[in-house]
Amino acid sequence: MASASSDEWRAVCDKFTNAQNLTVVESRNDPENDPFRSKYKARELLREIYCTLKSFEAGEGEEESGAESSEQRPTEPPVDGQREDGYGQGFSGDSPAGLRAAKLGAVEYYLGVNHVDTEELSAGQEHLMNCMKLLERCSVSSENVSLFIHVRNQLGILSAGWDETETAQGFLETAESIYQRYLKEDGSPPTDMTEYFTTEENMLTHQERTKRFELAYTHTMYYLAQVYKNLGETERAATYCHSTLQRQLQLNQFSPMEWALNAATLSQYYITKGLYMEGRHCLSAATVISDLAGEVPSEAAAQESETESERREQLRQKRAEIARCWIKYCLNVLQDSKKLLEDSIGELDTDRQEELKMARRREEEEEEKGRKSALLFGSEDTFDSIASLEEKVHCLLPLDFTEARAVFLVGQNYVTQAKEYFQMDGYVTDHIEILQDHSALFRALAFYEEDLERRCKMHKRRVDMLEPICSDLNAQYYLMIRRQMMFELAEIYNEMMDLKLTLANRQSDTESLDNHTINKFNHLCSASAKYFQMFLDSLCSPEGKIPEHLEEEVLRPALVARFRVARLYSRLISPSPSAQLENLDKSLEHYKYVVQYCEAHPEAAAAVETELELSTEMVGLLPLKMNLNILSSKCI
Amino acid sequence: VMSKNKSSESVKVVVRCRPLNRKEESNGPAGSIVQMDLRLGQVILRNPRAPVSEPQKTFTFDAVYDANSKQGDLYDESVRPLIDSVLAGFNGTIFAYGQTGTGKTYTMQGAWMDPQKRGVIPNAFDHIFTHISRSQSDKQYLVRASYLEIYLEEVLDLLDPNHGNARPLELRESPESGVYVRDLTSCVCKSIKEIEEVMNVGNQARAVAATDMNEHSSRSHALFLITVECSQPGPDGRKHIRVGRLNLVDLAGSERQAKTGVQGERLKEAAKINLSLSALGNVISALADGRSGHVPYRDSKLTRLLQDSLGGNAKTVMVATLGPAPQHYDETLTTLRYANRAKNIQNQPRVNEDPKDALLREFQMEIARLRAQLHHRKWRTKQKKEQVDGEGWERDGDEETEGEEEDEEDEEEGVEKEAEEYVKQEQRLEREKQDIREDQFMLADEKQRLLGEKERMMGVLRKEQEATEQLTAKYKAMESKLLVGGKNIIDHTNEQQKMLEGKRHEIAEQTRSEREIQQQMLVRDEETVELRETFTSLQQEVEAKTKKLKKLYAKLQCIKAEIQDVNDEHVRSRQELEQTQNELTRELKFKYLIIENFIPPEEKNKIMNRLTFDPEEDQWKFQPLVPSIFTMFLKTKCCISGYE
Repeated sequence: MASASSDEWRAVCDKFTNAQNLTVVESRNDPENDPFRSKYKARELLREIYCTLKSFEAGEGEEESGAESSEQRPTEPPVDGQREDGYGQGFSGDSPAGLRAAKLGAVEYYLGVNHVDTEELSAGQEHLMNCMKLLERCSVSSENVSLFIHVRNQLGILSAGWDETETAQGFLETAESIYQRYLKEDGSPPTDMTEYFTTEENMLTHQERTKRFELAYTHTMYYLAQVYKNLGETERAATYCHSTLQRQLQLNQFSPMEWALNAATLSQYYITKGLYMEGRHCLSAATVISDLAGEVPSEAAAQESETESERREQLRQKRAEIARCWIKYCLNVLQDSKKLLEDSIGELDTDRQEELKMARRREEEEEEKGRKSALLFGSEDTFDSIASLEEKVHCLLPLDFTEARAVFLVGQNYVTQAKEYFQMDGYVTDHIEILQDHSALFRALAFYEEDLERRCKMHKRRVDMLEPICSDLNAQYYLMIRRQMMFELAEIYNEMMDLKLTLANRQSDTESLDNHTINKFNHLCSASAKYFQMFLDSLCSPEGKIPEHLEEEVLRPALVARFRVARLYSRLISPSPSAQLENLDKSLEHYKYVVQYCEAHPEAAAAVETELELSTEMVGLLPLKMNLNILSSKCI
Repeated sequence: VMSKNKSSESVKVVVRCRPLNRKEESNGPAGSIVQMDLRLGQVILRNPRAPVSEPQKTFTFDAVYDANSKQGDLYDESVRPLIDSVLAGFNGTIFAYGQTGTGKTYTMQGAWMDPQKRGVIPNAFDHIFTHISRSQSDKQYLVRASYLEIYLEEVLDLLDPNHGNARPLELRESPESGVYVRDLTSCVCKSIKEIEEVMNVGNQARAVAATDMNEHSSRSHALFLITVECSQPGPDGRKHIRVGRLNLVDLAGSERQAKTGVQGERLKEAAKINLSLSALGNVISALADGRSGHVPYRDSKLTRLLQDSLGGNAKTVMVATLGPAPQHYDETLTTLRYANRAKNIQNQPRVNEDPKDALLREFQMEIARLRAQLHHRKWRTKQKKEQVDGEGWERDGDEETEGEEEDEEDEEEGVEKEAEEYVKQEQRLEREKQDIREDQFMLADEKQRLLGEKERMMGVLRKEQEATEQLTAKYKAMESKLLVGGKNIIDHTNEQQKMLEGKRHEIAEQTRSEREIQQQMLVRDEETVELRETFTSLQQEVEAKTKKLKKLYAKLQCIKAEIQDVNDEHVRSRQELEQTQNELTRELKFKYLIIENFIPPEEKNKIMNRLTFDPEEDQWKFQPLVPSIFTMFLKTKCCISGYE
């Protein structure tokens, strides 16, 4: 300040330092019954500074009473988003008048934040708007750009708190464009607002200035992410979350584990949208950054100290969570490509496969291009490790067994990692979810396997992992999980049975099957029926009664299970005609149930259209077949 | 009259309204906005800001309790059946839900000293222990209590002696028993007094932790957990254990759970911006919330702990509390809507029979083990005694044949006897020592040796005695933890009380069924009006039709009112839009005026040529004179976000 004596100015600076100290440090120790004591004190100091600045201005105003005093602007509040941001208007930011406005604006800003902190929101908004008005007369320069952004951040938060999401969006987007434009047109490390009120010797270094400025913009992006989320624009919200994460990393302002977990979670958003390249990038970064958090303390160390044990727990848990995100990545990639490749009966469509392989070359080029333009994570030292981790798994959909197997193996590796922490004892639900994913990985891989024998073995692996657990679980507490598992087991056995039959038919030319195959077939058939039946039993009342009315969420599974059981009974091979007849009888009973239930509950028919149609047909046909059987057995 | 054959039953929801307080009464003549029909179980809510013609909102619940209701009524009618099921081995949960200051704590706890004003919790304590003392003597009980609170997503043990600096507890799951809190303190309670003591300790811990009690309690959930294990010989002769768990839950103030905006439904929390970057995870989780992905930490602790109570294996009663003052209209409506939704939650309660984690079984086994040890020890000492003594004791034989059944009662006597014997033996050893010392014919070192030996024998004896005493103490401590039924059936009054209670129970049951029937009647009424198509006379038809007309007319009015609401809203927003438009037009005209008067036409054209509309940001922009890298960057970014 040219006109003020340096003593006067020093007093202002001291007051400001004091106020900052009160706001940031002292306020933490305020008593519960007077929670804003320090903040109120700070407010008083800020007000005094404001008055002093005004009096300086009055002194100066006599000399150059030009633009300012004659200025009778309309006092309507400036609203962002409709107006070109503060470029190219008013006096330049580094002129004396511009500096004066910035300083006064900064005091208004601090007063505004102070009022918001003490829950006087309207007053806070008024101060912040005053700051906006002061800045409005200035053009953006390195002296005031920081304030330009900060005040808009605060106003954005305030509006969002009042449900005025669009207004918030306006403020924050303007802040964003001011930042971008400043970087493009000037780019020098801007003055931090605290520096307005510091004496020469306490000015910040360029590095510190940049750091603070960039942090303000990181917050802008983070708030924008939330605003977009609240507006339902998930895609944009995700982009801004991504940018926020990237900036945290670049500016080295993050805690590794928290960052890694956020990146891993973000990957799940990309995965569900089918954006596997982005998903993979997030996951690779998550894994690399989580390693920065250091080694997991050994069990022995954990027993010695409580902090170590907590650290051990945290690290292990979060790394296991990231592994689970990886599992989902692999699973989704496999399942998506399976959907793309399967024909109407769920087998590999080779024509389609060829077609896609042809298209692949183009895709690969695009991937390379995409990679170059995508928003990439990483600081100098992590960049390469992230890239090398990415190379370990494809982000393009696999098109044949070899490719699928590569994805599967990566997924399986993460299954092992995740299970190490999420053990059965203590994490039942999580452990089982991981197992179910593992089983689903096998299921997807089996689709690509051409050798039926080996395909069958894969399904056997699924049975081996699910079966023992299903019987160990408490039937009351894990009702839902058990139902899922019973249904899955029933389906696996069914699948295996079909495979065995196809295999046997291929091998022998004759129609008849040998005894060993029949036994095997019957065993798989009854195992499948057993699990379907267990599923159906789990729906019964404690007294064992079949419910008259099926709840909506079990309606389709229950009727499908009935239908499948019916089918299984009719397929059982038995040497004696009487046993055969008995099985057919059971089969008929289940078919009848489906038909009768849908008659009694017409709304159910829509859920099981095909099954109902077939059941109705079978109810008509089966008695005929049974009569025929009786006849033929009599003839013999 | 329970509902049909169902294995599932819905959550019972009852609503209670507190009286207006003095301050609210003085606030104005408006009076209560809540009206209750106790017989129908209906709550009628009046909007104080709406015109009188607007139809009032009606909600139907399992039971409603108005300002005059007594604590006892609520307990007998709505809670007692639930506690009975807990005693029979079901899981039960009672929730209190409502805005802070509507009497949640009064309903749950009440005034402990005044029997008339005691709330659900003290009444439940009383109920449980009275039931135990009156049950048959072949039943053994074990009652345990835990107390925890959930504050800011952290589970804190309120019974931990160093609660202040204890670490938050973790939720775990076991394959046998589902979700549990690891290392949660659980106190065995033998009487009402003890369980009340447990509750007090917890309440104090809660109060100490929070300097601002009201603020704290409105943000934290408190859970008091009681486990009642009961063992009883079954028809197969083996002892069967049933475990009932009772969760008494005081939820945080509803205003904290779902801050409603003007629109009523939307959560305000969603619109609020998280200030600190550390909340970035919440934002990302909200985006990634899909089925095919994995999102770490999605469930809240409370939901996980109570997952059995909402849609699982439990009987659940929810008590929603209301305030009748007009200024609470919004909160009251939200509470009612929430409660109304809770009615639809279906549970599948089952008796917990012989669960693997029953503590009672463990206790019984431990007691049996201790008893066996004690026996073994006794038997050994006898053997030794015989060795030392040379000649057996007469009584030995019959003591052993007395067998185990009698032991249980004779234990104490036995121990005393044993102690006596020890003393006798000790005396004898002492005597012998004396003898040896006095024996002058023996050699000195021989004497020394013998004395040493005796000394050693006495030491052994003493040690054994101590061990036995310890064992006995342990045994007694274990056994005292088990409560045995039937100890208090001494007098006639008990029987009478039991009968009285039974009658009270019956009455409550009848009131409930009456209400249910009334509610059903109301529904039926509507149906029959529609169904009755054959009319015996014209007059009847007219009557019926008039009735129907009236009903339909009322419905019409309701819908009309709703339409009116929507219309009003539209008119308002249209007016707002018109206003904005006017303002914009004015501004535009103003700008045109400036342009016409102050900007030379050629300059204007230059500017116009540079202006382009950016649809992305919905605003006009100056095209830079030279296309900059900046805009190119922007374009490539658009490509990326458009790529999908």
